[in-house]
Amino acid sequence: MVERQNLVASGYSRLTWLAIGLGFLIILAVSPLFLPRFFTYLLALILITGLVTTSLNIALGFGGMYQFHHAVFYGVGAYTVALMLTKTSLPPALGFILGPIVSGILALVMGMICVRLSKLYFGMLQLSLGSLVWVLVFRWYSFTGGDDGLHGVPVPKLISSVSGSYYFTLIVTVICLILMYVILNAPFGRILQAIRDNPERSESVGVQVRLHQLVTQVIAGFFAGVAGVLFVTVEGSTFPDMMSWTLSLEFLIMCLLGGWFTFLGPMLGATIIVSLRTLLGGYTEYWTMVLAIILMLLIFFLPEGVLGYFEGLYRRRSASLAEDR
Amino acid sequence: MLSVIDLQKSFDQFKAVTKANLEVGQGEIVAVIGPNGAGKSTLFKLIGGHLKPDKGRIVFKGKDIAGLAPHQICRLGVSLSFQIVNVFHRLTVFENVQVAVLSRLRLALDLITPARGLAIEETQEILNSVGLTNVGNRVSGSLSHGEQKVLEIAIALGTNPELLILDEPTAGMSPEETFATIKLLEHLNADMGLTILFCEHDIELVFSFANKIMVMRQGISIVQGPPDEVRDNQQVREAYLGGAN
Amino acid sequence: MDFSTTITLNGLIQQFLVGLSRTTILFIVSSGLSLVLGVLRIPNVAHGSLYMIGAFLCYSISTLFGAGSTGFWLAVILAPLGVALISLAAERGLFCHLYDREHLMLLLFTFALMLLCRDAVKIIWGSNYRSLSPPEILQGSLSILGMPFPKYNLFLLGAGPVVALGLWFLIHRTKIGKISRAAAVDRDMVGAVGINVSWVFASVFVIGCFLAGLGGALVAPTQNITQGMDHTIIMEAFLIVIIGGLGNVWGALLGALIFGLTDSIGILVWPQFSIVFPYAVVVIVLIFRPKGLLKATW
Repeated sequence: MVERQNLVASGYSRLTWLAIGLGFLIILAVSPLFLPRFFTYLLALILITGLVTTSLNIALGFGGMYQFHHAVFYGVGAYTVALMLTKTSLPPALGFILGPIVSGILALVMGMICVRLSKLYFGMLQLSLGSLVWVLVFRWYSFTGGDDGLHGVPVPKLISSVSGSYYFTLIVTVICLILMYVILNAPFGRILQAIRDNPERSESVGVQVRLHQLVTQVIAGFFAGVAGVLFVTVEGSTFPDMMSWTLSLEFLIMCLLGGWFTFLGPMLGATIIVSLRTLLGGYTEYWTMVLAIILMLLIFFLPEGVLGYFEGLYRRRSASLAEDR
Repeated sequence: MLSVIDLQKSFDQFKAVTKANLEVGQGEIVAVIGPNGAGKSTLFKLIGGHLKPDKGRIVFKGKDIAGLAPHQICRLGVSLSFQIVNVFHRLTVFENVQVAVLSRLRLALDLITPARGLAIEETQEILNSVGLTNVGNRVSGSLSHGEQKVLEIAIALGTNPELLILDEPTAGMSPEETFATIKLLEHLNADMGLTILFCEHDIELVFSFANKIMVMRQGISIVQGPPDEVRDNQQVREAYLGGAN
Repeated sequence: MDFSTTITLNGLIQQFLVGLSRTTILFIVSSGLSLVLGVLRIPNVAHGSLYMIGAFLCYSISTLFGAGSTGFWLAVILAPLGVALISLAAERGLFCHLYDREHLMLLLFTFALMLLCRDAVKIIWGSNYRSLSPPEILQGSLSILGMPFPKYNLFLLGAGPVVALGLWFLIHRTKIGKISRAAAVDRDMVGAVGINVSWVFASVFVIGCFLAGLGGALVAPTQNITQGMDHTIIMEAFLIVIIGGLGNVWGALLGALIFGLTDSIGILVWPQFSIVFPYAVVVIVLIFRPKGLLKATW
C-alpha cells in the first residue's frame, strides 16, 4: 500500500516537472522574438556555460572527482571546430562532430593518467596536464593563433546569425541535458554516485571503479567539447583563456553556487553568475570582487548550493510529514 | 571453501599479519577473535583484495585469489563489509542495495536504461529479508548507526555472495539491535546457506553463535577449532581470555 | 632552427645561472605554498596574490623612502612583514573556521581570496605596471667567464640558500617546526597532547605567506610589477609543489630547480616554446611518479 502511494506521488510530481520544463522550453524558444539581440546572445551564452558546468558536475558532484581543469575540454572542443572551419575545406558538419570527439579523446588520455589517483592528487594531476595543453595552445602562434586566438571563424550561414546560433545552441543544449540526465539515471549514473560516496565499498560490491571513472571523464569531456563547439558558433572565435585555469575555477564556483549534488544546480549557478557578470560588468570594473564575496558567503553559509539547500528543505519537510503520518 | 595459508603482510617496518592460517568450510559460521591490533581487520582486507599480501596463499573454492582486485574477488562470491560504517550515504537505502545488485548483473556501464525500473524485485526482497523495507526511501546517511550496519549486510547480500565476511557487524549496536542482527545472520546461514566469516569483540556473543573460532594474536593465528576446544585451550586462556575475563 | 650556433658552453653556463636565480624565487614562493599545504592542508590559490602584493608593497615602501638603497632594503624586510600581517588577519578571521572542510571548498575559498586580492590591488595601485631598480650596490653586471651577469641575480643566488637554511632551522630546530611536522602527519594526536593546534596553524600559515611576500619583494627589481603576476607564479608554484611531493619543503627546492632549469634550457633550445619545456617535464615526472619525487607529508 505504501509502495503504491509513493509511486503515484512520484508519478504526479514527474508530470508536474515535465510540464514546468516544457513551459520553460517554450519561453526559451519564443524569447528571441521579443528580446533585444543582446539578450538573445546572453541567453545563448548562459545555455553554453550551463552545459559546460553540467558536464563538469557529472564528474564533480555525481562522481566525486576533483575535476580541477574542466575548461581544457571546453577549449579543445572549441579549437577543434575553429581550426577545422578556418584551416580545412572539409565539410563544416565534420568539424562540429569532431569537436566533442577530440575533447572526449583528450579526456580519455588525461583520464588514463589521472584516475590512478584520487581526490586532491587527481585534481592536481589534471591541473598539470591541462596546463600543458593550455601552454601549447598559448604558444603555438602559427597553428592556434597564440594568445590572440582565432577570430572570424566561418560558421555556416544557417546558424551564424544571432537568432540562428541561439536556436542551434538551445536545441543542442536541450538534447545534451536530456542525454546527461538519462546517463545519470541509468545504472551507470547510480553506480557513479555510489563511487562518489564510497569508492572502497563500491569496489567490494564488484564495481571496477577506475574504469567507471575513466568512462565518466570521457562523457564529461565530450559534453564540454559540445559546449566549446557551441561557443564558437555563437562567438565566431576562440581564445586560450577558454582553457585557462581560472575559468575552470569559475565553472567550479557555478556548480557550487547552484548546488553540486543536484542535476540542474550547475545550470542555475551558470545563469546567476553569467547574468551577474553581464549586469554588474556594466556598472563596475570590480565585479570579480562581488563574485569573491558571493563565493565566500556561499562557502560559509550555503555549502550545498541554492538548489541543494531547497532540496534539503523539501526532503526534511517530507520526512517530517511522513513521520507524522 | 576458503583456506588462508601462511599469510603475511607488513606496512613499512610494522608486521600487521605475520602468519595467519584459517580454514572456512561450506555453510559454517566462523569467528576470528583476538585483542586490538591482532591483525583481524588486516586479514579481512587481505582476503577481500583491498590489500595485497606479501606472502602466503588465499584459496577460495580451489582458486588462489591472493592479489586479485576487490571487484574480481567479489565476482567469485566473496563479499566483505568493513568495520567502520560504510554505506553510500547520499543514496537512499533502496539505491544502496540496488547498486550492488546492478553491479552483479553487470549493468554498471549501462548508460541508457532508467535504473528506476531495474532489479526492483530482487532489491526489495533483500530489504525485506533484513527488515529495512519501511525505510527504503530514506537517505541512508540519515539512518541510525544500527540501521546502517544492517544496511551494510544488505548491500553485501546484493552481490549474492557465497561467503559473507563481516568486520565487527554489531559494533556500536544496542543490545536489542545486536540480538536482531545475530538472528538475521543465523537466518542467512540456516535458510539461505551463506557461509559467514566475522570478527567480533564481544566474546560471549562469539562463543554462543559461531561454529568455529580462530584466535589471533600479534598477527599470528594461535588456534582454530570449535568453541569448546578453543575455550579449553591453554594458550588462548593465557593470551586472551585470561585478560578479558 | 640552427641550434649549433646558439648553444655555446659559455651561453649554457650563463643561462644556467640565470635559471638558478629564477629558481631562487620559485623556491621561496613554492616552499611557502608547500608548508601551508603540508601542515594546514590548504591548497592556497591566493598564495600568488600575496606574492604580487609583496612586490607592489616593496615598490611603494621603497619609493616612500626615496627609492634609494636604504628604501630598498627596508622594503625587502617590511613588505613580507606586511603580507604576513594580511595573512594573519585572513587566517584568524576566515580560515580558522574552515579547517574541517573538504579540500575543494578550501581551494575555492582561497580562489575567492585571490579574486578579492586582485581587485584590491587594482583599487590601491591602479592598473599601470610599476618598475623598481635594484639598490646601487647591486646594479650593473659582473663578468663571469667573459659573459656579463647581472649583480642582482647573483644576490638572488645567494639569497636562495639563506632562505633554505632558515627554513631548515625553522623546521628541524624550533618548537613550532617540530609541532607542525607532527601535525602534518597526525593532526588529532597533536591536539590530544594538549598543544594549541590553532595557534600552530596560524603561525605556519603566516610563515608560508611571509615567504610569498618575500619572493614578491625580491623579484620586484627584476621584472615589471603587474596585475597579472599572481597568475603565472601560482600555476608554477603549484606544479613545483606537486612534482616535489605535497608538503615537502625540500621537494619544493628540487621542483623549483627542475622547473627553473628546464625553463632556461628551453630558452636556449627553442625560444618560442621555452615555456612548454617545464610544463612538459612536470607532466613526464608525474606520469612516472604521480605523487611527486620526494615523499609527500600526506
